[in-house]
Amino acid sequence: MERTVAIQSAPASSSRERFGQFYSRHRQTMEAWIILVPILVYYVIFYVAPVVANLFVSFISWNGLKEAKWVGFANFEKFIKTPLYMQVLANTLFFALTILLISAVLGFLVALALNEKVKGLGIYRTMWYVPTLTSAAVTAQVANVFIAPGTGVISSVMKSLGQPELIWQINVDFARIFIIVFAIWRGVGGSMLLYLAGLQGISTEVLDAAKVDGASGWRLTRYIILPLLRPMTVFVLVTGLIGGFQIFEPILLITNGQPGNTTNVMMTQIYKDAFQNQDFGMAATQATIMLLILLWASFLNLRLMGQTSVDEG
Amino acid sequence: MATITQDKPVMMAQNKPARSPIRIGRILLYFFLISTSLVMFYPLLFALAGSISSQADYFRSTWFPFPSAIYLDNWISFLTGRDLWQWVVNTMIRVSWYIAIPAVVSILCGYVFTRLKFRGRDLVFMFLLSSMMVPGIVYVLPTFIGFARFPGVGGNDMFGQGGSGFINTWPSLLLPGLVNAFYIFLMRQAYQGIPRDYEEAARVDGANTLQILVRIYFPLLRSVLIVLVIFQFVAIWNDYLTPLVFAGGNKEIAPIALGAQRFIKGTAIQLGRPDYPRMFTVATIVTLPIMALFIILQRYFVQGVQGFGLKG
Repeated sequence: MERTVAIQSAPASSSRERFGQFYSRHRQTMEAWIILVPILVYYVIFYVAPVVANLFVSFISWNGLKEAKWVGFANFEKFIKTPLYMQVLANTLFFALTILLISAVLGFLVALALNEKVKGLGIYRTMWYVPTLTSAAVTAQVANVFIAPGTGVISSVMKSLGQPELIWQINVDFARIFIIVFAIWRGVGGSMLLYLAGLQGISTEVLDAAKVDGASGWRLTRYIILPLLRPMTVFVLVTGLIGGFQIFEPILLITNGQPGNTTNVMMTQIYKDAFQNQDFGMAATQATIMLLILLWASFLNLRLMGQTSVDEG
Repeated sequence: MATITQDKPVMMAQNKPARSPIRIGRILLYFFLISTSLVMFYPLLFALAGSISSQADYFRSTWFPFPSAIYLDNWISFLTGRDLWQWVVNTMIRVSWYIAIPAVVSILCGYVFTRLKFRGRDLVFMFLLSSMMVPGIVYVLPTFIGFARFPGVGGNDMFGQGGSGFINTWPSLLLPGLVNAFYIFLMRQAYQGIPRDYEEAARVDGANTLQILVRIYFPLLRSVLIVLVIFQFVAIWNDYLTPLVFAGGNKEIAPIALGAQRFIKGTAIQLGRPDYPRMFTVATIVTLPIMALFIILQRYFVQGVQGFGLKG
């Protein structure tokens, strides 16, 4: 494009042309920094500084009021040596992975079904996706109605079936399964929509060619569709892991980590340490550890994505 | 089943001999889709049915409330009460702010990163993009401390001591999170799909950069802007952690997710049998706008999620 401009202005004297080129370059640099400087100042204050500050607070012991004390890696040591924090980390991994795997498989199956030129695609898609758009806080708070002992929905259904009541406060499995079901209900729509987009992106020629070669059903899915959707699968899994690691509202508002920390996760523990126990050091340390784990996941994502494009390219 | 037979010719063209398996397959397919969709929708239907049941009707039910008569008292009292509209106003202030500023920022950044040549361009872009990898909680604690110790406001002295700073005031709900790397990324993609000829023609006619941005690019970026509006609307409407941490102590500025959640919780811990229908009314009313938005703008939602998946 710039070449055309140069050709048009060719009849002008060469010094004027040089000035024009200089001015055009100058204009671009000037405009760029006029736009970027305020944005970057804001970005440094609200995005970069907090990450640095959080890292700094990880190395101090501070309740927000008294003078902070530099403690080196003591907070990290405490994280590794305290059974509570290890249990919280294990719970977080457990919830993130279970929710992620079930959501990915279920989302894929539904997308596969929706891709079969079904009537009323929009209706099914809406029914599957709308839970994702609801407020996690409001739905989690309302979800208590389902598991409330005595008056809850599950309770009254069990009663009508003549079964013993399920009380999540003493039944760890029930508490965990309910959290998982709730999180899948709220999250599966996303992976369904992503997989559906991926499936619709596969050219019909590829599928027809495979069908001519006799591939169908399971074999078609396993050997043609799944490999083609590999980038999407990587994306669904990695974003699912990142999202699952940050599960917060359902835990805070349904079980609050009970019974006995068996459903407690990193986000709720950070929240408690910071705003209830006034232990800013430990809260920041956990946030730093979460940052490191998720950075690793993001780099894994980039590497796997890179690999896929090399494989196919 | 008439709907199923209509699809047949398409399938038949490829697989003539296997006539009956396909029909059974289609029936199973629809059975799977309808049953699972109903399971997904069950909690929402439950909330809706619960919200129009009287207490007596509700507590007669087991797995689903079938109201013997439509009972609208909860809807009326809630829709005419002050709480809901206070939350809605507070939320809409945040929604419009968190749409306007990120939209302007991403339109400008998209222009800078695709149309202007300058040293360090890719570096700055990567620098902005890197925030996408940081989990939100990392920002929360330092931002909280920064707000609470901000000098000279909210009873703080010039060293940031003595008061609560910006905590529980509007600035804490409007200042964080205004540069969203995801939209900058999407906008850059959109600019890359627009030919440069329009801009050059306008420059020949003597237009400056601001005019070009407003008159040429703004209309052409419409579909990405709609995605931004939708996603920000949903994100801010549902935002819970920010108001909880930064403004949890001020009921007057509570947005809808926090306000409704606390309202429901408050109803649940009342003495005697909790007023479940009232809780479901609140939950249904705060969910309906989002559902309506999705149903009306479904195409753009799908487009947004696709853009997220295929390019992210």
